[in-house]
Amino acid sequence: MASYNHDTIRDLIDGRLPWQSTRSIMSQYKDDDRFFKYIDILQERVTFNDPILLPIGEHLYIVAKQGEPQGERVVKCGCSYEFGHYTRNWKLKAMINVRDDEEEIAEIYPGRHSYDPDWMEIREFICPGCATLLEVEAAAPGYPIVFDFLPDLETFYRDWLGRELPKESK
Amino acid sequence: MEQSTPLVLGIDAGGTMTDTILVDKQGNFAVGKAPTTPGHEAEGFMESARDATDLWNLDTNKTFEELEVILYSGTGMLNTLLSRTGKRLGLIVTRGMEDAVLMGRGLQSWSGYSYPDRLHAVTHAHPDPLVPRSRVRGVTERVDQFGQVVIPAYEHEAVNGVKELLNQDIEALCICCMYSHVNPEHEWQIGEAARRVLAENDVDVPIYFSHQLRPIIREQSRLNSTLIEAYATAQGRDQLLGVEAAAKQHGFPHSMQTMLSYGGLANVRYPRLHETMISGPVGGLLGAKHVGELVGTDSVIVSDMGGTSFDIGAVTRGKIPIDDEPTLARFKLNLPTLAMDTIGAGGGTIVKVDPYTHKVSLGPESAGSVPGPVAMDMGGTEPTIADCDAVMGRLNPDNFLGGKVQLNIEKAKQVLQEKVADPLGVDVYEAAEGMVNLLEMEARSSIESIISTQGVDPSEYHLMSYGGSGPLHMAEYSRGLGFSGVMTFPFAAAFSAFGCTTADYLHRHSQSVHIMIGPETSEQDRGEVRWQINKIWDDLDAHARSELVAEGHDSEAVTCEPFAMMRYTGQLEDVEVTAPATKLESDDDLDRLTQAFETLYETINRSASSYGEAEAGFTIMELGLSARVEKVKPELTRRPLGAAEPKPKANKGTRAMYYNRDWHEAQLWEMDMLEPGNVLEGPAIVEHPATTLVIPSGDRVRLDEWTILHYEHGD
Repeated sequence: MASYNHDTIRDLIDGRLPWQSTRSIMSQYKDDDRFFKYIDILQERVTFNDPILLPIGEHLYIVAKQGEPQGERVVKCGCSYEFGHYTRNWKLKAMINVRDDEEEIAEIYPGRHSYDPDWMEIREFICPGCATLLEVEAAAPGYPIVFDFLPDLETFYRDWLGRELPKESK
Repeated sequence: MEQSTPLVLGIDAGGTMTDTILVDKQGNFAVGKAPTTPGHEAEGFMESARDATDLWNLDTNKTFEELEVILYSGTGMLNTLLSRTGKRLGLIVTRGMEDAVLMGRGLQSWSGYSYPDRLHAVTHAHPDPLVPRSRVRGVTERVDQFGQVVIPAYEHEAVNGVKELLNQDIEALCICCMYSHVNPEHEWQIGEAARRVLAENDVDVPIYFSHQLRPIIREQSRLNSTLIEAYATAQGRDQLLGVEAAAKQHGFPHSMQTMLSYGGLANVRYPRLHETMISGPVGGLLGAKHVGELVGTDSVIVSDMGGTSFDIGAVTRGKIPIDDEPTLARFKLNLPTLAMDTIGAGGGTIVKVDPYTHKVSLGPESAGSVPGPVAMDMGGTEPTIADCDAVMGRLNPDNFLGGKVQLNIEKAKQVLQEKVADPLGVDVYEAAEGMVNLLEMEARSSIESIISTQGVDPSEYHLMSYGGSGPLHMAEYSRGLGFSGVMTFPFAAAFSAFGCTTADYLHRHSQSVHIMIGPETSEQDRGEVRWQINKIWDDLDAHARSELVAEGHDSEAVTCEPFAMMRYTGQLEDVEVTAPATKLESDDDLDRLTQAFETLYETINRSASSYGEAEAGFTIMELGLSARVEKVKPELTRRPLGAAEPKPKANKGTRAMYYNRDWHEAQLWEMDMLEPGNVLEGPAIVEHPATTLVIPSGDRVRLDEWTILHYEHGD
């Protein structure tokens, strides 16, 4: 089974790996130690020490809190801003910018590229801690904010990674 | 070796080693080896040639004087292309087509990929263009498909374009206009303008015209052919001329030859040198045709299993089908090539087991020669087919590559256990045989698919099996296919090289046309059609002859065989029809041409009774001819049949071999000690420094008077 070193995985994450190597990695079966190497690299880059359990966006992580309540699984931005428990939609705690008028739409979709604000709006979710744009969704006006992803962490750890996830204190 | 008349010296300059095969008139071989000397190829060439002549105690200079042909093939040009270290090109195209270099053909983004990678578009990527978009200029012009000028060529745009390209220090200029294969007027005009600009600036860069390289329809392939010729062949040609000079210094009286993708020899000064870049598997087909004629069969399936790939081709009733648009380094080309299929299956093919699903798969990755299979102990860590063979006792650990490499069976077994047998939960030997069977099954189904596309009953074919790993797996991959015979050769590993030495001097010329012959076509129009066909054949004939005469052949010795690429009008693919006569003298001759097409079409597909004549009509898409000058060929030695029992000195004892889930005590034989008439009963293993033939229990092998091994399956 293929296994790649820390530097290779880091370059892969940053898109700095030559195409041939990237393709060869994609064509192989997934290296079985990839997940934890990947997590280690992400862990080096965030400003908090709570262990990352699963990345759920480019700057968003489900982590096990070190502080109180200890072990609680919360969603955090890389800047350590906390969005609450992972079973609740983190977006509800983000700053939201809705592009639903022609002027704002034209900033990103000028002229004929524009969309009809009666039919669609773009919602941008921004971290209140560091102002990073974390996620963008397109939905019909009035549609509830989309809950993208509720992972089954226990099963994922047990069946796919072969490790038990430490229990979360209630 | 007494009484040897050296005939052909074949050189294959690879990335690391230069291999030489010296063949004499009697069909004996000597194989030489020397390290390739990049930058000074002539040195490696001479060293390798000396290594071969020394084997026969021949004087090198005398050998060079006697040789008829030196055939040089190398991967130099291909490497130039793959490593993108060719010339700095500029390109002029019809305005509006400038992005063609970037867009390419869709299939170029996945060509050569495994089936799973083809399905997963995330792995798809276009090859880097040979000329960046910034060095492409458009010129307003348009010729329509009938060759009429719709928009004249705007010369001032050409002049400006060339000036801008010169400012970017181009080393060669390519010109490719739409429909230039019908009417090259605009390409000439742009070329003239370019020459004036070059003269004014006192710069000398070569100009390549697409219609000259290959006047064939399909813009993208014509463009690719032109770019590759300009990009990659210049250095290669210098290298070839250097090697030729070295050979001449040692007394070689002729010009050196290279092998073309459609199986002909061409002088190294040949103007379309990119045609030599896909010549790898060609030798096997030529060799098979030659040996087939010798033993009296004109239909042969060839199967070449080496370290990385399994190549399959067919010779059907003496004809080898041509692939007109092959892919080279992931570029689609307009280049006739002897058709061969290839799958990633060979001795070095890596065996993989999916950790989650336990699905087993083979390759297409190969361990190559470095690091090679685990058993070679050169750093290989992934189990390969060769490791499976070694573990099962089918390879001799002390005589691999003639004993040059000692196989580490224990290590292979350990890796196989850990990475294949344990995840699957089976015994290591069972796992090894399972993997080998999987490879043999893939090989067999690829043979089946090639037979079914020829429209010929397998019982009309003989199967020839060669390549280093061919004889090792032929017993199973040929089993149950119903061939009329299965053969292999003592020199199986060198069969492709041998095949190359049987080639004739052969050049192929063709021209795209669009000629329709319908049921309603009047006699006068049919006369017109005949005139047009004859005119093109005549022109090509004159051109082909002058090219061969310029290469030093006698005009009398040239025979030209015209052909037409034909289809029923409205179809998308054509077939190559050999013309019934070199000239269509009468209206009947035209009928004979369409009849020849129908006969061929029915052989390949099924009867389309009078579909062309009464309904759709016929379309000719391309007219061409093959111009050939015969060359002396090596002969295989014919010896009287002797006793069925091999001489005692051929006997090398016995070895335990795993086959069909059981261990057998296999009789070992030395390949080179076997003689005509010998019959070997399985279980047996025949060893040769470069190959191993495995005969399971129940099967047997018979040697005929040419010392060809005939494999006979038991019930």
